[in-house]
Amino acid sequence: MKRSNLFSILIALALCAVSAAAWAAKVGEPAPDFTGTASSGQTIHLSDYRGKYVVLEWHNNGCPFVGKHYKSGNMQRLEKEWTARGVVWLTIESSAPGKQGYVTANEENDYLAKLQASPTAALLDPTGAIGHLYDAKTSPHMFVVNPQGILIYDGAIDDKPTTDLDDVPGATNYVSLALEQAMAGKPVATAATRPYGCSVKYAESTH
Amino acid sequence: MGTNARATPISHGALELVADSQSIPPGREFKLGLHFQLEKGWHIYWVNPGDSGEPPRVEWHLPAGLNPGVIEWPTPQRFQSSTVVDYGYEDAVLLMVPVNVDASLKPQRSAQIGATVKLLVCSHEMCIPGQAELSLTLPVRAGLPVPDNKDASLFTAAQKSLPQAPPQTWKLTAAQTSDSFVLSANFGRRSAGGEITSAMFFPLVESEIRNSAPQKLVSQKTNFQLTLRKSDQLLNPPAWLRGVLVVSFGNSQPDRTFSIDVPVSKNLPVRNPGATKMSSAVGVR
Repeated sequence: MKRSNLFSILIALALCAVSAAAWAAKVGEPAPDFTGTASSGQTIHLSDYRGKYVVLEWHNNGCPFVGKHYKSGNMQRLEKEWTARGVVWLTIESSAPGKQGYVTANEENDYLAKLQASPTAALLDPTGAIGHLYDAKTSPHMFVVNPQGILIYDGAIDDKPTTDLDDVPGATNYVSLALEQAMAGKPVATAATRPYGCSVKYAESTH
Repeated sequence: MGTNARATPISHGALELVADSQSIPPGREFKLGLHFQLEKGWHIYWVNPGDSGEPPRVEWHLPAGLNPGVIEWPTPQRFQSSTVVDYGYEDAVLLMVPVNVDASLKPQRSAQIGATVKLLVCSHEMCIPGQAELSLTLPVRAGLPVPDNKDASLFTAAQKSLPQAPPQTWKLTAAQTSDSFVLSANFGRRSAGGEITSAMFFPLVESEIRNSAPQKLVSQKTNFQLTLRKSDQLLNPPAWLRGVLVVSFGNSQPDRTFSIDVPVSKNLPVRNPGATKMSSAVGVR
């Protein structure tokens, strides 16, 4: 079977499987478990990290909203700060092959090195299976999972839905807030917001 | 005579500042408009952009005595890519802004109107942010404003594309279940226009409904119900359901679009087969 045909079938199956499930990630409920392949080649399950806070960051290196957070060094700073405090940070690319943001493992590793980004792992999700499981809509779209595996934040990275680098310093960062409040044993005040950014470039559904 | 603004190039299109009048009328209202023309395959966003994107934002630089209102948004279109659904405009659109002029404004030969527009132009593949500086020079003249003939048809078409108040014969209500809103319309008697064959609700507020979910329509001769899935990012159900409803009548009638603004019943309806009344249930999730 031709590789491209096999790939299309796999995408179709993945989409059928995901769309058949009425389940979408919802704040206050268990975050759906998933299996992903990291750019390091490692296989990763969300459940591997039970007992730790986990941040999921949907990413597309061509999107200007993502660019705002990387050109300013904001995302790199957040990754460094929170991984140093024991948080697992997973950056996830759900762009289909041929679409903006799609990267091979080597390209992703080069990108991370060049931008000095230090997520715990970068997951390559070209079939969009993980993206659809979480109904990730934009890049960036952020999720925070607590050590008990419950989703405690779903939405925008901060309260400035723009592409202006000037809007980074003064913004309220919802991810940091959620982590700080949860770590202090307090309820997360803003648990869900509208994520802002470019649409996730999923493979088109074949049904 | 006003100076017509030249269209400013933007990514994959052009943008110009126009007015429906050849002069600024003290003590009256006139309209400014942002006229977007976009290349095929590119769009801008509605006030609620949907799952992704951002609407254009305008900062006015107006002479003293000119008081701008808010953008009057034409009926949007729906764009779907896989599971991501956005609302906006492709091809061309005029975003009108009413401007109220102080009666005390003195006549003058030319007054400079400026606008800084921050915009996002996207295709299915990518988004390009940008900023345009627009300007228009008009005289201030007492008396009834003279329409600008060049752009009159633009304003007429834009006015027609604005959502209208729903028919007075429609009794509109909104209820909710744990995972959906139900927008209901009762016509009382047979609707003169015939049964509605399709309907689409565009929410005015972000993160209230799941934009990618199908909207189930139950349509009868004297009423219809449209079910809207709640958004996963909706934590506190709103008190009002606000948006634009586009309905088709199936015969050769054109689609109609209505502004919807109805209170959402606080209580979850307890559905008994055959019952038409809604009883209150315990609390709202």
